[in-house]
Amino acid sequence: MRATAIGIVSLLAFLLVWHLLTTYRVVFFVRFTNVPSPLAVYASFTKAIHDPKFLMHILLSCRRIFIGFSLAAVVGVPLALIMGRFKLVHEVIFPVTEVLRPIPAIAWVPMAIMLWPTNEQSIVFITFLGSFFPILVNTLHGMSLVDPVLVRAAQCLGARERSIFREVYFPASLPHIFTGLTIGMGVAWVSLIAAEMISGQYGIGYFTWEAYSLVQYADIALGMIAIGVLGLGSSLLIRGAGHLVMPWRSK
Amino acid sequence: MSGIATSAPKGHIEVRNFSLSYETIDGAVQAVTDTHIHVKPGEFVSIVGPSGCGKSTFLNAVAGFLKPTTGTITVDGERVSGPSAERGMVFQQYSLFPWKTVRENVEFGLKMRGMPRSQRERAARTLLGLAGLEAFEKHYPEKLSGGMKQRVGIVRALATGPKVLLLDEPFGALDAQTRVIMQQILTNMWQRLKISVLFVTHDIDEAIFLSDRVYCMTARPGSIKAEIPIPLERPRQQSMMMSSEFLALRRGLMSLIREESLRAMGGEINDLGMQGLNIELHGHSLADVI
Repeated sequence: MRATAIGIVSLLAFLLVWHLLTTYRVVFFVRFTNVPSPLAVYASFTKAIHDPKFLMHILLSCRRIFIGFSLAAVVGVPLALIMGRFKLVHEVIFPVTEVLRPIPAIAWVPMAIMLWPTNEQSIVFITFLGSFFPILVNTLHGMSLVDPVLVRAAQCLGARERSIFREVYFPASLPHIFTGLTIGMGVAWVSLIAAEMISGQYGIGYFTWEAYSLVQYADIALGMIAIGVLGLGSSLLIRGAGHLVMPWRSK
Repeated sequence: MSGIATSAPKGHIEVRNFSLSYETIDGAVQAVTDTHIHVKPGEFVSIVGPSGCGKSTFLNAVAGFLKPTTGTITVDGERVSGPSAERGMVFQQYSLFPWKTVRENVEFGLKMRGMPRSQRERAARTLLGLAGLEAFEKHYPEKLSGGMKQRVGIVRALATGPKVLLLDEPFGALDAQTRVIMQQILTNMWQRLKISVLFVTHDIDEAIFLSDRVYCMTARPGSIKAEIPIPLERPRQQSMMMSSEFLALRRGLMSLIREESLRAMGGEINDLGMQGLNIELHGHSLADVI
């Protein structure tokens, strides 16, 4: 209750400072000369929500995130579970992922454009790459932390390999899987926006960059805020899914 | 109720010539050597010994988690080759599945056996009722006290109707009061189910109070130092622990363990330059023991 109240006051103070900096066009190392005021951004927001083109940008970005992120989760989680269980698979795959992992997804943009026939596919691919590695690494970490005594407990209750995997390794790794999904979702957005700014024709990242080119400064801030809200929303979705899947962890 | 209402005792454990060593960076370490034990069907047997003597290692081998280096372990004539639901195990750290409710934990073994959901739910409820836990069937283990967790652990191990129950210092993490209650509960369940129990502990009182027979192990490498029958009448009451009979057994076991503990610590004591302490061990000085 107290935290909420302070939070609201803090946000209002932020808006006020923003308002003052832009109305007085403060120049102090950074220049607020062309930065849009909160009111200007609000005005362009009310216009944009009635503009089907703006909504289409948002929908397209969401679709790319959905496809890229889902693919990363569907490939990354099972792969890491298998790597964590079978040493040989780990030994074969781990070196490759370790070499590829430090390459930021954005560095893949030119390669992705060459690899994939359409721009749309290459952007989804970039989003996939961004979320894939955090999901893989965190799931692997979860697998390595599974308490061996729980595996023993399952074994002397008659569990065989497949049941142990399903009833012990998988649920025991779930908290780390969800950590991976949360981080992966964040990196997916970072990668998506960068990819859209570089090679997109649609999407909220492209919208933001285009606003700069077209000297529609209020739209820059609108695009940024939209990206922030979408990122927040998607990470809330994952947290909610986590509570649903792991009822034993909620208070 | 499958496996609960058996009449004839079962679970004859026979361990012969058992030894177990494992490889470390510094070479092979002998954990347990030249050990023979047996548990008659329906008997309650404890193993006590100084810490680090290999008694838990030994129990893990009976459970089938570790392979003996030499010797054989059989239960009712069948050789132990891996873990099985025939040998239920209770762990010191409870080892309940945190993602399963109390009832789902108890159902686990039955589920592995392929019992239909409604049937195993009923079985689990009955068992939880016997342990006074029916009100907690929907709770997750995290919400339970240590004593309750271990009651679930015992009920879970018994649910599949094993021939043998193996317990590895199951009450070591509990406070004294809870421990006494748990000992009562375990005794009741054991008498009801007529299965064999092999119980590892370092608590001498606990071993005497619960057991028909107690094996005392030597310091590492562990082997059987002595076998002590406990002729105390059943049902046993808490007040029995003050009887002269009990105290005599306690004194005997105590000095056996003390000898071994000192032997295990001998090196350390010498290193600390404490030979001159002349600790008395029924007539012997520490030097004789070492």
